[in-house]
Amino acid sequence: MPRLVIDGKTVVAKEGTFLLQAAREAGIDIPTLCEHPAVEPYGGCRMCLVDVTRPEWDGWSKMVVSCLFPVEDGIIVSTKSERVMNTRRVVIDLLLARCPNTPLVQKMAAEYGIEKTSYVQNPEPTDCILCGLCTRVCDEMGTSAISSSSRGAGREIAPPFNEPPPDCIGCLACAEICPTGFIKYETSNSKRVIWNKEFEMLRCPTCGRGHITKAQAAWHDGKVPGRYFEQCDACKRKAQAAMAVTLMGGSQIR
Amino acid sequence: MQPCVDMTLLDDILAQYPHEEQSLIQVLQDVQRAYNYLPCEVLEKVASELKVPLAKVFSVSTFYKAFSLNPQGKVIIKVCTGTACHIRGATQIIDEVERRLGIKPGETTEDLGFTLHTVNCVGACAMAPVVIVGDKYVGAAKASDMHKYLTVAKGGDNEN
Repeated sequence: MPRLVIDGKTVVAKEGTFLLQAAREAGIDIPTLCEHPAVEPYGGCRMCLVDVTRPEWDGWSKMVVSCLFPVEDGIIVSTKSERVMNTRRVVIDLLLARCPNTPLVQKMAAEYGIEKTSYVQNPEPTDCILCGLCTRVCDEMGTSAISSSSRGAGREIAPPFNEPPPDCIGCLACAEICPTGFIKYETSNSKRVIWNKEFEMLRCPTCGRGHITKAQAAWHDGKVPGRYFEQCDACKRKAQAAMAVTLMGGSQIR
Repeated sequence: MQPCVDMTLLDDILAQYPHEEQSLIQVLQDVQRAYNYLPCEVLEKVASELKVPLAKVFSVSTFYKAFSLNPQGKVIIKVCTGTACHIRGATQIIDEVERRLGIKPGETTEDLGFTLHTVNCVGACAMAPVVIVGDKYVGAAKASDMHKYLTVAKGGDNEN
């Protein structure tokens, strides 16, 4: 098992884990914006940069994104060196220029001592930090309905042709995972609208709540037991609890 | 709505490549060449035939400058606006082309004859200002000569 030093602390990490994970397991915090346990690491936000060196490197060190750097035996990592902090400051400063009104970005910038961006502020402020979480979660767990389009300054998250995405099943995974609330949706017991696409809801026969879109239930069809989505989660739990109580022969605990 | 496109061209292209994700860019390049742009319907079929999500196809189509989702002119005029070309009068050349064709950079004439693009550097700074008309590189281009290049390009084919 690789032994490494992170911020002066000797850490024994599991073979094949990434630096970010090893640091977190050792209780050392590294800031991230594009990381999420549900999806593969991406290395997009550049906030998790750390300095890596070895004793035999004569003071030379390299900066790596810790979320994508596999742990190696004998490396010395510093997560808060001046170089690291300065680089992260540039990254968050640029993000603040892009998203001046986004609370998450403002908060993180403030942690690095930035109240106002030192770059020219984006004339069309957006809440999208292009972390790619939405497209990745859609790729890995959904239907790949959305993607990033264009590149450079014009890059944005969009459904194909900027029209309601044909493959979208309205599962809301993209909106739920979005760290800034950029992806908007409306949902009620009868219908849900996301990416300008309207979905009909499947209603729970017990409580009447619209708990999943019909499109999503259809997409799961065959992957889960037949009538799995008929009842909503809350009612399913209630039914299970009631059944457990009956099986144990006791009276219901209120 | 876009005009109906000839899907047989696409069938010929698809027949040349294995139907898998790796073929995507080659297919799109051939589509761009055959149709002079990437029509929506064609992209939808490419996605379903290569079994690539439409969102991916859209992402790739918008990522590369070589692809365009709007019909391009028969002759594409690229005016270099790199530093050397800019200093030696690229702006006047752009003005002249705009005036003669009535289009702005990025636009296409109504008869689909010409498309005007500005590019940042074509690596031929010694020949500045550089204009690429169709496939022909014109060095030391003069705004006053632009009408000649346009006429030649319109008259002849854009291969030479």
